Amino acid sequence: MNLTSQQKRKKARTAGRPRLSAIWLIYAREMRDQLRDRRTLFTIAILPILLYPLVGMLLLQIAQFTRQHPTSIVVVGTEFLTDAPPLLEGEKFAEGLADNNERLELIHYKWSDIASHSDVAEETSAWVRDGSFDLVIMVPPEFADSSLRGVDEKASVQLLYNVASDQSMVARDRVMTVLSAWRGSWIRDRLATSGVDMTMLDPFKLNDVDIAPERTREAAFWSKLLPFIMLVWAMTGAFYPAIDLVAGEKERGTLETLLCSPALRGEIVWGKLGAVTTFSMLTAILNAGSMLVTSTFVFGQIGLGGANAAMGSPPLAPMLWLLVALVPLSALFSALALAVAAMARSSKEGQYYLMPLMMVTLPLVLLPMLPGTTLSVGTSLIPVTGMFLLVRSLVEGQYATAIMYIPMVAFVTGLCLWMATRWARSQFDDESVLFGGGEQWELSMWVRHLWRDRQTAATPAQAFACGAIILVTLFFGKLAVTDVPTDFVGIAKLVSLPQFAMILFPAIMMALVLTTSVRKSLRIRMPHWTVLPLSVLVGFTLHPAYTLLARSVSYAYPISEEAALAMQPFVQQITDAPWVSIILLMALVPAICEELAFRGFIFGGLVRENGRFRAVVVTAIMFGISHGIVQQSICATFMGLMLGWVALRTGSVLPGILIHFTNNTMSVSMDRIMNSGWEGSQLLMHSTEAGPEYRPVWIIISTLMAVACLLYIASLRPAVDEAKADLVESDLEYIDPTKAIAVSM
Amino acid sequence: MIHVQHLTKTYDDLQRGRFVAVDEVSFSVNRGEIFGLLGPNGAGKTTVLRILSTVLSPTSGIANVAGYDVVTDPAEVRRHIGFVSNNTAIYDRMTAWEMVEYFGRLHGMSASHLNERLETLFTQLRMNDFRDVPGAKMSTGMKQKVSIARAMVHDPPVLIFDEATLGLDVLVARNLLAVIRSLRDAGKCLIFSTHIMSEVERLCDRIAIMHRGKILDSGTLPELRDRHDEHDFEELFFGLLSRHEHADCEALQSHPDGLAPVDFTNPATSMEARS
Repeated sequence: MNLTSQQKRKKARTAGRPRLSAIWLIYAREMRDQLRDRRTLFTIAILPILLYPLVGMLLLQIAQFTRQHPTSIVVVGTEFLTDAPPLLEGEKFAEGLADNNERLELIHYKWSDIASHSDVAEETSAWVRDGSFDLVIMVPPEFADSSLRGVDEKASVQLLYNVASDQSMVARDRVMTVLSAWRGSWIRDRLATSGVDMTMLDPFKLNDVDIAPERTREAAFWSKLLPFIMLVWAMTGAFYPAIDLVAGEKERGTLETLLCSPALRGEIVWGKLGAVTTFSMLTAILNAGSMLVTSTFVFGQIGLGGANAAMGSPPLAPMLWLLVALVPLSALFSALALAVAAMARSSKEGQYYLMPLMMVTLPLVLLPMLPGTTLSVGTSLIPVTGMFLLVRSLVEGQYATAIMYIPMVAFVTGLCLWMATRWARSQFDDESVLFGGGEQWELSMWVRHLWRDRQTAATPAQAFACGAIILVTLFFGKLAVTDVPTDFVGIAKLVSLPQFAMILFPAIMMALVLTTSVRKSLRIRMPHWTVLPLSVLVGFTLHPAYTLLARSVSYAYPISEEAALAMQPFVQQITDAPWVSIILLMALVPAICEELAFRGFIFGGLVRENGRFRAVVVTAIMFGISHGIVQQSICATFMGLMLGWVALRTGSVLPGILIHFTNNTMSVSMDRIMNSGWEGSQLLMHSTEAGPEYRPVWIIISTLMAVACLLYIASLRPAVDEAKADLVESDLEYIDPTKAIAVSM
Repeated sequence: MIHVQHLTKTYDDLQRGRFVAVDEVSFSVNRGEIFGLLGPNGAGKTTVLRILSTVLSPTSGIANVAGYDVVTDPAEVRRHIGFVSNNTAIYDRMTAWEMVEYFGRLHGMSASHLNERLETLFTQLRMNDFRDVPGAKMSTGMKQKVSIARAMVHDPPVLIFDEATLGLDVLVARNLLAVIRSLRDAGKCLIFSTHIMSEVERLCDRIAIMHRGKILDSGTLPELRDRHDEHDFEELFFGLLSRHEHADCEALQSHPDGLAPVDFTNPATSMEARS
C-alpha cells in the first residue's frame, strides 16, 4: 500500500510537467482550426498576395498617366528676344539649354498676337490658372531695349506659375534650369568677346561621389521601411488569431472543454502561443514578401529606380536578416496579444482590448523610423526598437556594429519575451480572468462596492490606479514648472510639493477611503528588530555601488548640456544650503513619501493574489518613472527592485524608508564629508574633477558588505504572508445569516 | 471515488460583495453509484462540479477524486474524470471523429488503442452517421453525443454530468439517461446535476438537494421521504427550499443590518463569530 501510494505520488508529480507531445498536439489543432477558417485565411494569406499587386498596378497606371502628360510651356514675346544668344530653336529650347527636350511641350507667341485682342498679363495668367499651360515665360517689350535689361524691373523676364499645381512647379524648376543655362552661355559669350580667359571662370572642378556600396544605398531606404511594415503586420497578424483562440473560444465554450482535459494550463498556453506566433510570422512574411516582389516590378517599370535613385528596387538577400528578428518579435507580440485577449469574454470585446495594446507598442516601432536614430547602447536597450535597429545595421551590411550590440539586444528581447509569456501564462491560471465578468456594471453599484467591500489592504486594481494617478499628476506637475527657482525656499517648495501633494497624498487618501486600516494598507509593521539597523547599513554600504551605477548610466545616456545648465542653480543652492535642511529636504521627505506610496500602498496591493514578482517589478518601474529624468529613472528602477525585494522579505515599509533615507543622505553629503577634514573620509573616497568619488577598493568591500546584509534579510520570512492573502480579512466579519439556521435545524 | 469535505468557494461580486457560491459542502460518491445534485439555477451545482473537474480551485475544503486531491494533483484528477457540461462546447471546425480523437490523444492514448476505442464508442453511442460532420453543422443532440464520447474516450472511472440534458429533446435525453445507467452498471462513479426532479427520481441512487451554495439534505430517495414525511418528491423539494428561504427572510427581518443573530450558547456559531 505504501509502495503504491508512493508510486502514485511520483506519477502525479510528473503529471504536472508540460509535455512536448501535448503542446505539439494543441499547436497542430489550433493551426488546423485557423486554416479552416475562411476569414483568417483571407486576411493572412489571400489579402496580402492580392493587395500589393493591385496597389502596384494602380501605381503603375498613375505613373504612366503622369509620364504621358508632358510639361507644357508658353513663351510670349518672342519678337523681343533680339540681340541675345538663341533661347528657342523652332518648337524647342535652343540646343544645349534643356537636356530632355521631348518631355517639354513648347509653344511660343509673339507679344503682338495676344496684345491685339486682350491684355497680355491677364490672358497669360488665366492660362496658368485654369491649367491650359503649366508655365508662361513672358518677355516684355522693354526687353528688346538691351540698355534697360539689367536695370529696369519692367524689362525683366517673368515666369508665371501656379504654386498649387505640382505640374506647374515641376515646369518652373525645369525652366529655371533652362534660363540659367541660357544666362550662363550669354555671360560666357560676353566675356569671350571682351577677351577674358574662360578657364578663369572655373577655379576648380567639383565632383561629388557617393562612396556607399550599391547595396547599402539601395538598402538604406528599404531597411527603414520594410522592418516597419513587417512589424506592423506581425502585430496585426498576432491579434486576430489571439482573439479567436482565447476570447473566441471562451465565447464558444470550447475553452472549458480544453481546460478540463488532461492538458495542463502551461501546455495550452504554449500550444496557443505557438499557433499565434506562426500566424503572426506568416502574415508579416507574406505581406513583406508580396510588397517586395511587387515593388521590384513596379519601380523597375516606372523607372524611379536606377543607380542614383534613393528608392531602388529592394535587395533581396540582406532582407533575410529580417526573418531572424521576426521570430522573437512575433513571439513577443503574440504573447502580449494572448495575455490581453485572455481578459476578453468575447471576440468583440477582444478587439476593444487590443487597440490600446497596439497604441502602446506602436511608438517602439516608430522610434527607429525617426531620422538620426542609430544603434547605440541607449537605443539597443529599448525593447523592439533595439531589435529593429540591429536588423537595420545587418541589412546595411554593418556587421561589426551589429555584433557589438547583439548581446544587449538579445538580452532585452529575451527578457521582454520571458515577461510577456509569463504574463500570458498567469492569465491562464487566473480563474477570474477565465471565468470572471459577465455581470452588469453600474457606476453607483461600483462606488457602493468600493466602500462596502473595503479590505485591510488595497486590491491590485486599486494599487495600479494609485500608481497611475501618481505618475499622471507628476507628469502634469512637471509641465507646470517652467523655471527653476534660484533661492532655497523656492527649491524647497519645488522638491517637497510633488512629494507631499502628488506622491504621498494620493496614497494616503486611497488608504483612508478605500481600505479599513491605514496602517496595514501602508504596510507599517515592525519587522524583526535586527532589520532596522541593518537597513541603515545597507543604505550606507550600497551607496558606492549605486553611484557607480549612476555614473555608468550617465555615460551610456549622456545628460544634455542644456539640462545640466538648467540644473545648475538648483545644484548650487543644494551645495550652499545648511546640511540639516538639505538632509530633511532631499533625504527624509522623499524617503517617507515615496516609500509609503510605492513600497507601502501600491506594493501592498500588488503583492496580493500571489503577486510577489509583480509587486517587486511593477513598483520598481513606477518608482523609476516617477523620477522624470531618464538617467535617474534607470538608476531608480534598479534601486526600486532592491527596495521592493527587501520590502517583500521583511513584510514592512520601514526598512525601505531607512535604506532610501541613508542612500539619499549619502548622495547629498559626499561633498561635505570630503571637505569636513575628517581623516576617515580619505580612506573611503578621493576627490576628482567631477566631485568626490569612492575609492574602488571601498566600492568592492562595501558592496560585499551590502550583499551580506541582504543575504541575512533574504533568510527572513515576513510575519504576515501578504502574497497568499487573496482575501485579506475585512473588519466587518462576514457572518452568514443562514448559518445559525442551518445549525438550529 | 469522490470525497468532498467542507468545500467552500467564494467570489467577489460587484453587486453582492463577497459572495459564497459553495458553502461548506460535503458528500461522497462511490463506485457504481449515481449521485444526483438537485437544485434550482444558481444553487452552486456548477461551481462544485467545476471544482471537481479542477477548472476552478476551492477557497477552502477538500475535494478528492479517484484518490487525487484537486488542488495538489489537478492533472491526475483530470486524467481520471470525464466532464460533460453545457459549458463545455465542441469545436465548430472539427468533425465528430477528429474532436473525440483529439481528446483521446491529449489523454496520451496510443493510436491503435484510440482507434479501437473510437470505433466502439461511435457504435455504442450511434454516432457513425455523423462522424465526418463538422461541429458547426451538428444538431444539439449530436453535439451532446460528441461531448459524451469526448468525456468517455479514455474510459474514466469518474464521470460528471452537469445539466447534461439541458436543451435536449425528450428522445435524446432519454437515450442519455440510458447511457448513464449503463455506465453505472459498468461500475463507474457518476455525478449528475440537474434542476429537473423527474430525472433525479428515475436515475439517481442518492440525492443531495442544493440551495444557495449549501446542501440542505442528502440521502437516498426513501430516506429523504421518511425524514421529511412527504411522499411526493416535488413537494419535498419545494418544502425544503421554501423552509430554507423563509428562515433566511426571518433572520434578515429581525435584524435589519443583515447580520444573523449570534447564539453564543451554540458552540458552532459562537466560534464563527469570534474568528
